[in-house]
This record gives sequence, C-alpha cells and structure tokens, in this order.
Amino acid sequence: MSQTFILPATQSTPAITADWDAGLLSIAGDSYPENSFDFFTATIEWIQSFLAEGNRPLRLELRLVYMNTSSVKAMMDIFDLLEEAHGRGRAVSVDWLYDPRNERVEMLAEEFREDCSFPFNIIAQA
Amino acid sequence: MNDTDFFGLRELFTRNRILLCFNGPISRSLIEEIGNALKNYLQADNAQPSAAMDVFSIYIEMTQNIRHYAIKKGYGEADRSATIIVARDTAGAYLVQAGNMVEEADGKALAARVAELAALDKPALKAAYKEQLRRPRDEGASSGAGLGLIDIARKSSQPLVGRLTPLPNGKAFFSIQAVI
Repeated sequence: MSQTFILPATQSTPAITADWDAGLLSIAGDSYPENSFDFFTATIEWIQSFLAEGNRPLRLELRLVYMNTSSVKAMMDIFDLLEEAHGRGRAVSVDWLYDPRNERVEMLAEEFREDCSFPFNIIAQA
Repeated sequence: MNDTDFFGLRELFTRNRILLCFNGPISRSLIEEIGNALKNYLQADNAQPSAAMDVFSIYIEMTQNIRHYAIKKGYGEADRSATIIVARDTAGAYLVQAGNMVEEADGKALAARVAELAALDKPALKAAYKEQLRRPRDEGASSGAGLGLIDIARKSSQPLVGRLTPLPNGKAFFSIQAVI
C-alpha cells in the first residue's frame, strides 16, 4: 500500500491521513470503535510498508482525544513497530498535540511514552 | 403500566438523581447515540473535562464489554439487553452502573475478577493494566482483550462494586458500579 490514503472521521473513529511522500501519518479525534483491531489494520499495514522501504524518516502527528482500551491496544502495536524501526536505526518520531484543558489526554500520552525510546513529544496546544 | 406506576418510576429517577437510564437490547449505534447524549448531559451539568471524559470512558468500556460478551456467546436479540444508569450521588460524584445477563459460571468469574481489582491500589492497577497491554491478543479477538475492566477500576475513585443475581436456567444478572 505504497500510497497516500485519507480516512475521514466518524463519530467513533478518528480522521487518518497517511502521506507517503511526506513520511507523515496524522491521526486526529476520538477513537472508540468496537473492533479497533480491524479499524487500525490498514494503518498498521501502511506503517509496515513504509518502514520496509527505503530509509526515509517517519513522523506521526497525533491529535487523539478519547481512546477506548481496544484503540489503546492497537496504538501500542503501532508504537511497537516504531520502536523496532528505531532499534534498527531508522528515524521515527511522534508528536502528540493536546488541549491543556483536558489533562486526561496528557496522561494517556505520557503512559504511552513510558514504553518508547524514540523521540516522543507531548505538546500542549490551546 | 398505569399512570401511578409511571409517576412512581419518575420519582425513583428523581430521588436517585439519575441523569440517564437505558434498559433494552443494545447495538453499536445505540452505544454511540447514548454516549452522545451522555456527553451533552455532562457538558450541561458543567462537569470538569477530565471527569466528563472518565464518565464517558467508563460508559464505553462497560457497554462495549457487554456487546462483546453477547456477540461471543451468540446471544439473540432478547438476551443482548443491557441496563445502564448514570447518576449523581449526594456528594456530587458520578455513578456509572451497567448490568447484563450472563452464564452463571461466567458471572462468578467476573465477580471474582472485579473483587480482585477492587482490592488493588492505583499503582498496582497501573501495573496490571500495562501487563495486560503487553499480553498477546487472543486469536481472532478484535477487542481490548481484558483491558476494559482494569481501565474502569483505574478511573473509579472508589473500589468497583460487582453484583451477581442468580436467575433460572443457569443464567445470572451481573452488574458493576464505578464512581467518578
């Protein structure tokens, strides 16, 4: 799937933009589908393809707000892929932007960051 | 139901400060629609954004757990019912309660799991959550694979309370309560 894809947001799923040329994956909004594993499969496959090809950096820009636990699990799978690539010397990074009025989002991002050794920025954005 | 009963039901709701109540077969879209109503209520109720998100999050985990269970068991429409209540207690805390019909053996295991989680403090719950997050997914499972209950316990300001009411034919009604 070596191409760009755009998935518009729905009530329970976030907007996803995967830009192959820019090496940028953006995910924004709430994520609480019943079948998170199925929902994130295309995104996980895109990341796998991107990391398997060439040596260009990959950046994730996240504006996730609420995530159910199955989305958290799927996101952990994504961060594991980045961690593995980072271990092989690939440049990968995450920028997680959040609204400082909701401290829960910051806590969620912090917990993910605890298990990652690649650059992981948590940025308050009013 | 006659008018007196209906008024009595209303009084019961008012006395228990029930913001939202649902009882019946639950679908994916109903979970989303009720969730939307809940978000609006919480906003109108001037809930702190973090408290509103905790209430919403517990509601989603409880109802999706019920859905996953009913689907796994292959329950028909009638057995796919859930009972959900969101209320405020006298101190202003939010109570989120959900219940569903389960196989009695599953209900006993669930009640034991809830009691186990209720005995853990926050750092122990965080450790249990991270451990579960690292556990490989069951084959074919698309859900959170056991994270939901721990997440509910982590967000509840008081130990979770689980109740099991035996029913005929090897069934039971299981309910759980969290406080935010």
